[in-house]
Amino acid sequence: MIEALQFEFMRNALFAGLFASLICGVIGTFVVVNRLVFLAGGIAHAAYGGIGLALFLGIPYIIGTLGFSLGAALVMTAVTLRAAHRSDTFIGVLWAVGMAVGVILIDLTPGYNVDLMSYLFGSILAVPSADIWWMIAMGAAVLILTLYYYRDLTAISYDVEFARLRGVPVRGLYFLFMALVAVSIVFIIRVVGLILVIALLSIPPYIAEKYAGSLGIMMGIAVVLSIIFNIAGLWLAYVFDLTSGPCIILAAAAGFFISLAADAIIMKSRKYSDNSDNKVAAK
Amino acid sequence: MSKTDEPVISVENLFFSYNRTPVLEDVTFRVEEKEFLAIIGPNGGGKSTLVKLILGLLKPDSGKIRAFGKAPEKVSHRFGYVPQDVAINRAFPITVMDVVLMGRLRHRKRNRFTARDRQAAAHALEIIGMAGYEKRKIDDLSEGQRERVFIARALTTDPDILILDEPTASVDTGGRTELYSILRDLNLTKTIIIVSHDLMVMSSYVTAVACVNRRVHYHDEGEITQDMIDMGYQCPVELIAHGQPHRILKTHEGGP
Repeated sequence: MIEALQFEFMRNALFAGLFASLICGVIGTFVVVNRLVFLAGGIAHAAYGGIGLALFLGIPYIIGTLGFSLGAALVMTAVTLRAAHRSDTFIGVLWAVGMAVGVILIDLTPGYNVDLMSYLFGSILAVPSADIWWMIAMGAAVLILTLYYYRDLTAISYDVEFARLRGVPVRGLYFLFMALVAVSIVFIIRVVGLILVIALLSIPPYIAEKYAGSLGIMMGIAVVLSIIFNIAGLWLAYVFDLTSGPCIILAAAAGFFISLAADAIIMKSRKYSDNSDNKVAAK
Repeated sequence: MSKTDEPVISVENLFFSYNRTPVLEDVTFRVEEKEFLAIIGPNGGGKSTLVKLILGLLKPDSGKIRAFGKAPEKVSHRFGYVPQDVAINRAFPITVMDVVLMGRLRHRKRNRFTARDRQAAAHALEIIGMAGYEKRKIDDLSEGQRERVFIARALTTDPDILILDEPTASVDTGGRTELYSILRDLNLTKTIIIVSHDLMVMSSYVTAVACVNRRVHYHDEGEITQDMIDMGYQCPVELIAHGQPHRILKTHEGGP
């Protein structure tokens, strides 16, 4: 792995992974505790419509995707706030429509052929340095906003009605947070692909949740886990000459199942010790 | 808080429906200062909805609700609210202290919590008998303990009205009696509104009863009297399900 770092593309891949981990760990923590993984997935997929739109109109990629996914995020958030129990259907619809519009618009764009696979799985090994700077800026923005609103976001995530009674601007923060999710996703997709974004948003925070005593600690654990998965995945990709994105996802998935297995073992041993305690007590 | 003739809560000709299904119809009542109001009624009768309307979390279809003479959402900082479902977000990684500190959130002041905030939170935990649990994860507590933490959270807001939605649903009998005696002490300085089925346990300190079953029948007798029986006819499900108002009458009037 060390000798691999002499290649600039490998260093860039590593940096991209680090910053994607940072952003996904922080944002993903709120996504997971608020059960918004499906919504985040919806935003990420709907953003594909933005790619199609950008190509069709000949505008820069970033404007198309940002506009599209921000729009999708705001609509989905509005629906979620209004009719929470119906929002999953609505998100599913926007998810599908966004992708369909993207594909059709690319069909209609003459002489252009974009590989859907690179959108889904990204190309972390072909990250230009400029994108790294974008991710650093994004990571800083996400961190600053999250820290500034940490208490309010925690209160909203835990008990939204109580937060509202305490004068926390629930609607405003909800929209701000979803906008943050949308913008983060757009920048990270470009680097690591949409499937990897969803994996990094959900798997590390999910594992971290069980061991953390607060959202802050959960974010920290999620970021560290995510970095480990990224390095492990990149190493696998390098050694076995495989596509990097799926390798990182499979490394994360391995972590996920290992943590599930560890939980099951701990539960069993606890039950066992409880039982033996009871036996002692019975005697 | 000075004693005034103005009611703490006034509800006039209130109507509310969920998706065109009427939940509350033509509700009118007033809650006076330092009242200990018990809200009873069958499940699905609209008790929690009424509570959320009073808190300003829901908007009525028509009619008027005033708290301290103002729209409820304008005075939400004066309410201490203990929600019904304390099992929400069980896996959420948060400590007892951090939950209680939520009661110290203030509009437009979102820097760190101060030492005073922490003191207030610790004090509330002490009142409720949960001192020493500050650093425990909320998920590690029993239902009854979690209930107390939520009451402590409501207390740290230093409310004028404490509103509790079925706070004892998951607490054993001993815990309930203890909880109610804590509430009675708090009632010396605060108005208390409680949704509960435990009329019997509370009967000695309840000052008013509202029976909610789409319509609201409000009784502000100092003690539970013959009126309760009449109310029983308005609220048959409650009586059949719990059978407690009958026993209250016996204990209070020394037999039939």
